[in-house]
Formats: sequence, structure tokens, C-alpha cells
Amino acid sequence: MDFNVSADPPQVVEFRKEVAAWMAEQFKGHEHLRWSASWSTREDAEEYKFRRGLAEKLGAKGWLFPLYAKKYGGADLSVDHQMVLETELFKYGLNLSHVFYTLARIVAPVMIRWGTDEQKAEFLPPITRAQTCVWQVLTEPHGGSDIANCQTKAIRDGSDYIVNGQKTMVGHHLPPDFLWTLVCTNPKGKRHENLAWLHIPANLPGVEIQHMDMMMGIKNTVFFDNVRVPAKYLIGGENNGWKVASTHMELEHGGDGRIAADPLVERVIEYCRNTHIDGKPIMEDPRVRDLIADIMIELNTLRRFNQLIYWRRFAKKPHPYGGPQQRYYQRMLRLRNGERLQAIMGADALEQNLSVHEVIDFEYAVRTGPGQLHGGGTLDTDRLIFARRLGLGRPTTEKAPETD
Amino acid sequence: MDLALTEDQEMLKKVAADFVKAEVPAHQMTQWYKNKQTFQPQLIKKAAALQWLGMMLPEQYGGAGVSTMDCAVVFEELGRGPTPGPLFTSGVLSAQMIFEAGTEEQRKTLLPRLCKGELIVVPAITDKAAYWGPEAVETRLSKTPGGYILNGAKRFVFDADAATSFLCAARTEEGKVVFALVDRNSPGVTIASHVGFFISVAEVRFKQVAVAPSQLLGSSGASWATLEAALDKALPILSAYQVGATQEVFDITCEYTRTRVVFSQPIGRFQRVQDHCVDISIHLDQARWATYETIWRIDSGMDARVAVHEAKATASDGYYHGTNYAHMVWAGPGTDYSHPMMAHSVLAHTLYQYLGTPGHHKRLMMDALYPRA
Repeated sequence: MDFNVSADPPQVVEFRKEVAAWMAEQFKGHEHLRWSASWSTREDAEEYKFRRGLAEKLGAKGWLFPLYAKKYGGADLSVDHQMVLETELFKYGLNLSHVFYTLARIVAPVMIRWGTDEQKAEFLPPITRAQTCVWQVLTEPHGGSDIANCQTKAIRDGSDYIVNGQKTMVGHHLPPDFLWTLVCTNPKGKRHENLAWLHIPANLPGVEIQHMDMMMGIKNTVFFDNVRVPAKYLIGGENNGWKVASTHMELEHGGDGRIAADPLVERVIEYCRNTHIDGKPIMEDPRVRDLIADIMIELNTLRRFNQLIYWRRFAKKPHPYGGPQQRYYQRMLRLRNGERLQAIMGADALEQNLSVHEVIDFEYAVRTGPGQLHGGGTLDTDRLIFARRLGLGRPTTEKAPETD
Repeated sequence: MDLALTEDQEMLKKVAADFVKAEVPAHQMTQWYKNKQTFQPQLIKKAAALQWLGMMLPEQYGGAGVSTMDCAVVFEELGRGPTPGPLFTSGVLSAQMIFEAGTEEQRKTLLPRLCKGELIVVPAITDKAAYWGPEAVETRLSKTPGGYILNGAKRFVFDADAATSFLCAARTEEGKVVFALVDRNSPGVTIASHVGFFISVAEVRFKQVAVAPSQLLGSSGASWATLEAALDKALPILSAYQVGATQEVFDITCEYTRTRVVFSQPIGRFQRVQDHCVDISIHLDQARWATYETIWRIDSGMDARVAVHEAKATASDGYYHGTNYAHMVWAGPGTDYSHPMMAHSVLAHTLYQYLGTPGHHKRLMMDALYPRA
């Protein structure tokens, strides 16, 4: 076994040097920026402009999706090259899958799996090169985790679909270029067989977006009022929306994996070394040390779960239950860590600190516990899928959907 | 990055799995645990024939010279039994201590016999059950004109029944911790089995036991650091064994959710029952990947002490909590001493304690990372 994510084989040694030098050049002069988390109200125009610009430059080199063919906006490179890009970018606190707010990391592999050659040629490059921002818009006001109970209708009319309905708790504070969504083509049809997947241009007449002020930042409600969507935006064919959704959700629900570690614990240590009570740093307090040990072990576990999923994904041996296991574990871990942080540092854990990246801000770490229990399906949904994949109470086990 | 076993390791795994199926069948195993007969000499002989005793030792000392991961693959499968007996205590921990701190004479005379299973050396470390640090070594080694006298009682000696000799930690008159090899049949050595919710443990008492200078490990008895160094290599093997045991608990429990029908449906269709299985799986995989990463560090020559403590903490935690969650699924039948769950339950509690609880190892992990002032 080999857990090393930066043991470069000979063919990427030079590539790492090239990437490191390129990154240093991009970040020069921007060292003062502190990254906001997804959907955050912290993000200002300067940060967004920089991140969007960086993504476009990465995209122009095919480096956002290095494994993809050049014609699809990739660079025809290997997983080893991808790991170089991920680890080098992570040194600056960013991830390849989320340089700026777009759902490309999920949308692109689903498009690869389910798009026609014409669709891939037309739709993929702008997504993979970060020229467009795509939102996934799946949740409906009455749907929640029951995504197959889709009420947004898309009724075929000649060569178009007429879309009516509403999606909610989606997106970001700046508007999208495309809406990646599940619709119902036949309200009277059989469940799971009456759905279609659409890649809807957001500038079509009848699309309206309203902000929502939420625990984790800005989300939106998207209204579709007789939106006429040409059929060329149908992904995966007629009434095949549930299969497309399964691929999408596997990637969204932890099945994509990652190889970066969570940097939170280093900041906790720094805080505990610099905070003195009765003349002694609280880092010496056995109670505090026990709490830190638990934070550390659980974050290490999460890192290993992510790494295993990542490796299995690219070794083409998809993990049968890694996705829902990772999601459930991550959500419970965030809750536990939120409580541990408060136990260690009291109300200091509840005050926002703009001088650090948001993902290592204690306030964010606490808030994200209850705040991210539900996005993309509740943690009970995670366990439900997990149980099916384990085949509990069933003669057969459910397989992980195909991703890419 | 490559998180797969090698082909050779897959083969080793299969050999070990077949061994467990043939030699540790559930109906037999439950009787051994139920009747507290966990020392089964035939298992030691057969394991020795497969070169599983002292398997990480170099061939010149009778070992198989395999990597830590190779050894872990075998022990993970043995854990599925759970295979009882001193395969770990003698074959890994004592073997490692003698190899690292013994004189060349001791290595040559003891290790080949240990690898053949003729000699079963069991570590007897702390006098108090409540703590596994050097402070809990209270047995005294006093000088006499011709050698030493050993006095003390080890509260919690795992595999004591199986021992032909003990590797006993003792405190010298100068206060230093040393290790002495004491024959089980030496006058003054008594073994008192415990009755309680644990297995394969006994109190070993040393009363006025004569110890010759040649019985000290190394030229002067080695030190607590010797044990720590040996544990750096041995604890991940014990962790792998616990991972295998947890895997077995998980597998039989998942299978039970498919076959046990109440309220007209398999219990696995109840989401609360599913949740218990999900929790076992998380404990299992947490322990598994902590253990594998630790072993990868060892085999790559990286510093692994922090990781070793993390592996032992998560593996003992995982087996213990995994077994408790499994009890929620099995309910009444799982509490019958004739059921495999009881062997696992008793062993999980025992190994939670053996060589230090998860809490103990988490503190050692923190101390290794962030030394206290």
C-alpha cells in the first residue's frame, strides 16, 4: 500500500515544478486574500474576481479537468498529474474542484457519462474551462430529500420543453449561466420513469431568481414561468432523468473523493498554545488535549475516507458505499467538532474572524455543524443509501451508480 | 498512491482465511471462549508450520522476514475467528522485544524456538490494571549475591495460560524498569485465573523468584523504551487483528439483518436496525484505514509513533463499539455464551484494556506530537 499523494513518478517530476512556478505567479500580489466558503456572505468582489480569473486560467490550460480529452476542455493528462495540480493548489488553501462557485466538478462527469457527442462538444468546454457558472437546482419546496417526487414540469411542445415550477435553497450570491436540473415530463407517469434532466440556460425568458438569507450564506429560489427550453438541452434522453440523477447524486454525495487534509486542527493548536489561563497555555490542560486528540483522529479518518474514495474512483473500482459513508461521517464529525471547539475555547469559538480562510474559522466550523446536516439530502438519506449499498435486509446489494 | 494489497498479500490473506475456516470454526470457537479454554496448543503448532510465529523476524532467527503489512494481513484474518492463543503476545510482541533488545546469544537460542512454538514467551508488564505506563510497574527486582529476586504481582497478563515463560517488567533498586525472562515453572511463580467479563487473562504472581543475570533481557535488562520500540511495530498488528474481528462482527450482523424476520419483514428493512450496522461500518473502516496507513508508514521507514497510538486507539474503540452496536441488532440470541457474538464481546472488552485503553493511547499520541512542558 502507498498512501503518499505526492510521491511523483518520474513523468510528473518536471510537471510539479512547472505547476508550482505557475501557481506562485498567479497568487503573487494576492496574498492578503482570505477564501470564503461556499455560498458565504463573506465573499467580496475582489475575492470573486480573483478566483474566477484563476479558474479561467487553469481552465485555459485544461488543468481544472486534467484527465479529460482536450476537445472537452481537459489536458489529456494522468491521475498523477491531477494529484500534482490538487496538492499544489491546496498549498494556497484552494481545491481544484472548487476554485470558484460552480458545480462543474459534478456536472462535467455527468455530462461525460450521459451527454451525446454533440452535447459534450458544445456544453462541456465552457464548463470545464470555467467560462460559465453552473448551478445544480434540484431541491423543491415540497420535495426535500424525495427528489424523485419532482413537481417542476417540463412538457414537450414541438422541439422545446415548457418548464414551470420552482426550485429552492440552491446556488450562490452571483447569478449562474446554466441551471442543471431534474424535471417531470409526465405528472401521471410512473415514479422514476417520468423524469428528464435539463441543462437550462439561465438567461431564458421566464427564469427568475430570488435570494434567501440562510444559515450558511446566500441561497436562492429559482422560479420557472413558462420557460421555453430547446430539446437540445435534454441530457440522457427522454424519461431517463432518474439515471442521470443517480450519477449526479453519487458524485454530490461524497462519491467524488479528495486528497486534501482539513487544516482546522493546526489552527486549534495555535489557539491553544497562545491562550493562557493562570499563566499556562491551555495546550497543557489534559482535558483540552483529550478534545484535540478526538478532533484530530476524526479529521484523519475523514481524510482517509476521502482518499480511499478518490483512489477507488480513479482506479476504476468505485467504492460500493464510500460516498454515503463519507457524507454521514463528515456531517456527524462537524457537529461533534463544533461542540469540542466550544468546550476548548468557550465563546471565542462563536466569533467570526475575517483574518483567516473561512474553512478554518472557528465560528464557521461551529456553524457548519448544524448548517450542513441537510444539503443534498439529509443525513438520514445518507444512511438509507448506505444501508441499501450494504444490502441490509435485502437479498442483493445495490451497486454504486456509474460516475465517470 | 495505491491502496490495494499486493498479489502476494491477497494470497496470504486467502491462506489465513482458509486456516480460520478450517481450524477455528464458529461452533468450536464459541466453546473455547465459553469454557475459557482459549489456549489451544494445536493452533500454535499449525501456525508455526505456516511460519506465522515471529513472522516479521529475519530468517536467520527462524522468522519469515515479511513486512509489517504482510504480517497484518495474516493477523487481520486471524482476528476474524477470533483465533485465540498467544500468536500475538509471543509471536509478535515478545519476539520483537527479544529481537530488538536481546543479546545475540538470547536471539539465537530463544527466537528459533519461539518461532517453532516450543517456547511461548508472554509479556507481563504492569502491576496495576488501571494504567499501562511505566509508573505502574511495581514488581521489584532485588539484588542478591548470585543474581536477583523477583517479587510482585501482574494483575492483567494476556495469554498467561499459554506461557512457557514470562517476559516480566520489574523495577530495580535504582528505580529503573527492566525485563527478565522467567520460566513459568520457576519456584514462586503462580498463575491465578480471573473470573469476569474478560478472556485469556490471569494474574501472575512472582514470590521470591530467583532470577539469574543471564535471564535479564539484553546484557542489563533493557528498558521501558525497549517495550515502546517493540510496541511501535507490534501494536499495528494487534490493531489489524481487531480490525479483522470487527469485520467478522459486521459481516455476521449484516447477514443476520437479511435472515431474521420479525413483523413480517427482515429486520434490515427497519431503519433503526440499519443505523446500528452503519455505525459498525464506520467504526470498522475508521480502524482499518488508520491501521493500514500506520503500517504503510512503518514499512516506508517513516516515523510512525503518533500513528501507532492512533491505530491502537481506533482499533480498540472500533471493536468495542462495533460489538456493542452489533448487540443492538442481535438482541437476546447474541448474549448466549454459545453464540459467536459473546466471544467477540468478551474479547473486545479485553483488548480494549490490553496494552492500554483508547484514552491512554490518545494521550500518548498527543504527547508524542505536542510534548508537554
